Amino acid sequence: LHMRQSVWALVLWPSLLTASTMLGCRDDGSFSRSTSISQEKLLERVIHHAELIYRVSEESCTLFEEMFIPFPMHLQTNQAAYTCITKTLPIPSSRSEIQQISDKWLLHSVLMLVQSWIEPLINLQTTLDRYDNAPEMLINKTKWVSEKLISLEQGVMVLIKKMLEEGMLTTDYNDEDVFQHGAQPEMMDSVMRDYNLLSCFTKDAHKMEAFLKLLKYRQTDKYNCA
Amino acid sequence: MDRIIATAEALWRMMRRIAEILLLLHWFNLLSVEGTRYSLPGKPTLTRCRSPEKETFTCWWEPSFDGGLSTTYALYYCKENSDTVHECPDYHTAGVNSCFFNKNNTSIWVNYNITVVATNALGSTFSDPVEIDVVYIVMPHPPENVGVTVLEDKGWPFLRLSWEPPHKVDTRSGWITLIYELRVKLEEETEWEMHLAGQQKMFNIFSLRSGGTYLVQVRCKPDHGFWSEWSSTTSIKVPDYFQRERSVWVMIMVSSAFIFLIITWLIHINSHSLKHYILPPVPGPKIKGFDKQFMKDGKSEGFFCDLVSIHFPATTTPNDEDLLVEYLEVCVPEEQELKMEDKGEDGCPKSESSTSDCDSGRGSCDSQTLLIDKCFKRVAPGLDIECSQTGTGANEIQDSPDVSSGRVKTWPSVYSPLSQHPVDLMHSLDKSKQHCLSDTLFPSDSSCPYHSHPDHSTNDNPDSTYWKFCFNNKQRLLLRPQMETQWQPHAYSEVNISATVRSSDYVEAHNISDENTVVLHSVSSSHDDREGTGYKYQGEDYSHVQRVGSDNVLMLQRGLMKEPVDTGFCKNQQANRAAGTSDTSPITRNQKPTVCNETTLSVNGPAANGYVDTATMFIKPTQD
Repeated sequence: LHMRQSVWALVLWPSLLTASTMLGCRDDGSFSRSTSISQEKLLERVIHHAELIYRVSEESCTLFEEMFIPFPMHLQTNQAAYTCITKTLPIPSSRSEIQQISDKWLLHSVLMLVQSWIEPLINLQTTLDRYDNAPEMLINKTKWVSEKLISLEQGVMVLIKKMLEEGMLTTDYNDEDVFQHGAQPEMMDSVMRDYNLLSCFTKDAHKMEAFLKLLKYRQTDKYNCA
Repeated sequence: MDRIIATAEALWRMMRRIAEILLLLHWFNLLSVEGTRYSLPGKPTLTRCRSPEKETFTCWWEPSFDGGLSTTYALYYCKENSDTVHECPDYHTAGVNSCFFNKNNTSIWVNYNITVVATNALGSTFSDPVEIDVVYIVMPHPPENVGVTVLEDKGWPFLRLSWEPPHKVDTRSGWITLIYELRVKLEEETEWEMHLAGQQKMFNIFSLRSGGTYLVQVRCKPDHGFWSEWSSTTSIKVPDYFQRERSVWVMIMVSSAFIFLIITWLIHINSHSLKHYILPPVPGPKIKGFDKQFMKDGKSEGFFCDLVSIHFPATTTPNDEDLLVEYLEVCVPEEQELKMEDKGEDGCPKSESSTSDCDSGRGSCDSQTLLIDKCFKRVAPGLDIECSQTGTGANEIQDSPDVSSGRVKTWPSVYSPLSQHPVDLMHSLDKSKQHCLSDTLFPSDSSCPYHSHPDHSTNDNPDSTYWKFCFNNKQRLLLRPQMETQWQPHAYSEVNISATVRSSDYVEAHNISDENTVVLHSVSSSHDDREGTGYKYQGEDYSHVQRVGSDNVLMLQRGLMKEPVDTGFCKNQQANRAAGTSDTSPITRNQKPTVCNETTLSVNGPAANGYVDTATMFIKPTQD
């Protein structure tokens, strides 16, 4: 029997081989690292991503403002009718703080911003669909922004991982519960609420872009100096 | 027994092994036999993976031989830095042998490792893994809505191309930045003309061929990626704008033809002046000594005297009174005419006019410019003028050189061609119609109009034969002995015309000096036997010149002459008149201011033959 089994096993050896090769991805991991996207490229793409998000969000906000908000109620760049939802996030807010923060924390801040805005934007999408005369362009833009935001999140996470692999410290930022949505102040008007949302998001998107660019400049300096 | 049983069991096991081995071998044989028809599938290969908008992507593979058995393909991928192997989510959207990754499965942050596996009953075959970065495999769709129109730029057409990016590519947000490229060619050409348009969505093409059909195609490419496929061909026909060019050419041709006609007309009008300008007329020949003005002055007679011997027609001018005395005209008219002429009291002019009927060359000698206040004697052949009593007969001609009796000394040169034979001379004289004193006779350039050689033609016209002697006032008197000597030989050499002439008593005016002196030469009229002389003088009407007064007075003698002197000689007439009185009558110079002007006659006394020899007259002014 033992011989038979061995013989049959011998006969059936090709199928074994076939099964073993199924694990090629893992093997690929050995040589895929050499072919992974470099950090510089990744950072470039992330920055580009953030730029686009900011541009489109600004366009959306302007569009919404023109459509639904009377002129006297327009918000200026620096002011907000209501506090933004991300105010409670531990992100640097002043120039001096930004200069002190490390690269990792810079990136972490960006990630926090991104992650905190994904869900509100999805909700905004739903809200805008309820509008009667919301222009299609506005809806498309907001939709686009939310999609890209999710993509940005992935990119930032990859970037962090890459930076961690290169010897960066890691923290438990996967805990999305850190982000506190904060108490939403009661909005008098849904329109104003949405408008506030969009404007806040536009500002945060600009922050993301700024952080990332700053990170890029730091990286290039580091590489150039090295 | 136990040994036998043990051996039997061993044999049995061996046989079973052999049987199994044989069975295995058989199976293997079967397998090997079936391997010619069935085998593992061939190794597939991933041909390409493309993402049209950087949000999704598709991979295609190429299957190999299937090994005779049904083969299935599977695509497996794993993301970078992840050990999770995923299988292709969509095998159908992109067609056969393809795998489509939707938006959720596409990440621009990580690389993909993709493998295709071919599996059949016998086994599986893995393809080579492929590393994919979505950003770098972007190959958009071709541009859409490629539009071509023909526009005009200052009359010249050009093509305007316009297009739109593929609808799936998000260029508005800047997610993807596209650059475009287009190519153009004529329908019949084979090579395309490429143009890079950059990020613009519009392009102009100039320098078109009129009437041609152009084909246009556009494609695009992202920043990092592949060129898209060429869009579908758009064709457009350029309208004919050559007609506009042609109208311009027509205008140019018409205007140039018009200008050409005008120029031709101008040239035709000014053809003569142009001809002279381009081809200047050849100047006529100039002969030295040929004075045109001289010709024009009417002195052509003298010129022709030198050159030609011509019989000039008689051209008597009515204004004979103004005619000069310079020439003598010897005419042989009818006796009646002579008589009539004799009766004519007028001077020379009348006689001239009367004798104008004669075919004489008188007219040629008539020249107003030769008008001299000289009296002259007109000798008609039928008239004998005996200028002097001393006029001897013709025979005495040769007495002395001075005695010009029988000689016509005044015109020696005239008769130079004449033979010395008197008869011949006479003949010649008869023939000759005109005789002029040539220039050779006188040192000064005489203006003898013409010189006619006496021709020996048998022009016997006794009635009309005459000879005309012409001389101008410039002619020096032959009175000078020197001159005499000069022409004396001539005189001698010449025929003694006078010898024959002397048969009739003539008074011939030899010469008119510049001092208005007429040298008369009497011709004896005793010669009646002349033949063919042409002189038909009727000596009755002649008067002999008796003597010449000192005051330019010609003393004629009536006597020998039966007839009065021909009126041609005004002096004679005067003398006749004078003589009619009794003897001589002075003939003043001024009696006939015109033709018969002053004459200082020197009568040759000794020349009693009846003529006055000028020379002798000169020398011996008054012998009588």
